[in-house]
Amino acid sequence: MRGRTALIIGLTVLIAVLVQTTLFGRLQVVTPDLVMLVGILLALTRVRTEAVLAIAFLSGLIMDLLGASLIGLRAVVYTTVAYIAIRTKERAELGRVTIAIWAGLLTLLGVVLLLLLGTLFGQVALVGEEGVSVMVLVPLANTALAALLAPTFVRWVDRDRTALRYP
Amino acid sequence: MLNTKPSDRALPTFITLLVIGVLLMTFDVRLAGGGVVGVLRSGTQEIVSPLQRVAAFVVTPVANALDSLSNVASLREQNAALSAELAEAEAALVSVQDDLAKLALLEQIYDLEADGGELGQTVANVIGAVDAALIIDKGIRDGVVAGQPVIDTNGYVVGTVKSASTGSATILPITASREGLTVLVGSQTGTLVSRPFSSELALEMDLDVFDAREPVLAGDRILTSSASTDYPAGLPVGEVVQDASPESTSLSTTVRPFVDAESLRFVVVLSWPPDPVTAATDDTVPEDTTGTTFGEDATTTTSTTTPEGDG
Repeated sequence: MRGRTALIIGLTVLIAVLVQTTLFGRLQVVTPDLVMLVGILLALTRVRTEAVLAIAFLSGLIMDLLGASLIGLRAVVYTTVAYIAIRTKERAELGRVTIAIWAGLLTLLGVVLLLLLGTLFGQVALVGEEGVSVMVLVPLANTALAALLAPTFVRWVDRDRTALRYP
Repeated sequence: MLNTKPSDRALPTFITLLVIGVLLMTFDVRLAGGGVVGVLRSGTQEIVSPLQRVAAFVVTPVANALDSLSNVASLREQNAALSAELAEAEAALVSVQDDLAKLALLEQIYDLEADGGELGQTVANVIGAVDAALIIDKGIRDGVVAGQPVIDTNGYVVGTVKSASTGSATILPITASREGLTVLVGSQTGTLVSRPFSSELALEMDLDVFDAREPVLAGDRILTSSASTDYPAGLPVGEVVQDASPESTSLSTTVRPFVDAESLRFVVVLSWPPDPVTAATDDTVPEDTTGTTFGEDATTTTSTTTPEGDG
């Protein structure tokens, strides 16, 4: 990963963390998980898979450190989601809609994992507040955001204007 | 074009990161948020909080506008309900003023003086949230330290400070805390615990009284107990939702907290215990920790408190 790409990704993660903890942390209706989405969409780029996993882990760790949940909880979840994203990204190549659905399903998996691990580590009251609505709203919001942002994000990170262009 | 071939090192990297993550979780559990983990947390907040302040300054109008749009449908009903509440509160205020006048007269007759104990209050803006935890714009330089109790501008219990950096702090609401809160319901002491998967519409907690002598009724107020090590005694927490009678010597019921942490824009951090050494024997409670804050910026204030008995 070259310096400029690293800078772009670092900036993207930072903006995602800030927007997630300020704007989306306060809204009660629109509740995407922007940081998780960045980890998922990075799997579509040409960034090396180990780097994608490391970025997902670090961004999850930052969210853990900024919140009150166990340190490592989101890091593990985001890394797992990123790994599954890397292994399944071929299925997302078909078009904008499939990318959105793929990102939504991966987000759903991430939310379920978060609730599951949260329950195992006694954090469910913290991360599982409004658990049922979270399992619906967060994947839906990420699906919509992925449909809107995925091609632009991949082109920006890869600096390739031809990336993810569909007829 | 996509790089569709995952590297051979993806799986080892994934497993390594998973192991590191689980180890971090184990350390956090074992250290109970202190030690290296606490330093990491406050260090990260130290770096990110200035950026969060800037981001909050930009996004707060957007968040408020979107919140208002989402609430516009129920605005008329809310206005009617608030008008009714205001009328009730004004009536209650008049009766309280009468009581205060009587108290002042009696104090004058018997030559009594107020206790004079002071409890510092730091009013803070909520600038963000992660999961159920709130992030505020006041930190160590404003006198906010981990473990301090937090109330809202009406004096209702919100939670405690989980961690603090120089310019920000993270608040853990009681509805998200793993630890039970020792409370008073009537003359009985119980433990209030958070309920998993509680929703905003039915924000509820579980109350267990293990030495129950009498039933509790719906509408009974729950107050912090002097047995609590995290809060001064006598702070209102919530009210009982369902009647419950003792079964053998225990009793369980549902409590609705007065505060919905998600909707808070301002909170008040109490400098409590004022003196940890004397706190063990001191049941000091703020007589009036209320005072609705208006305006964009919160300020640090100190208010006088008076002692109150347990509950």
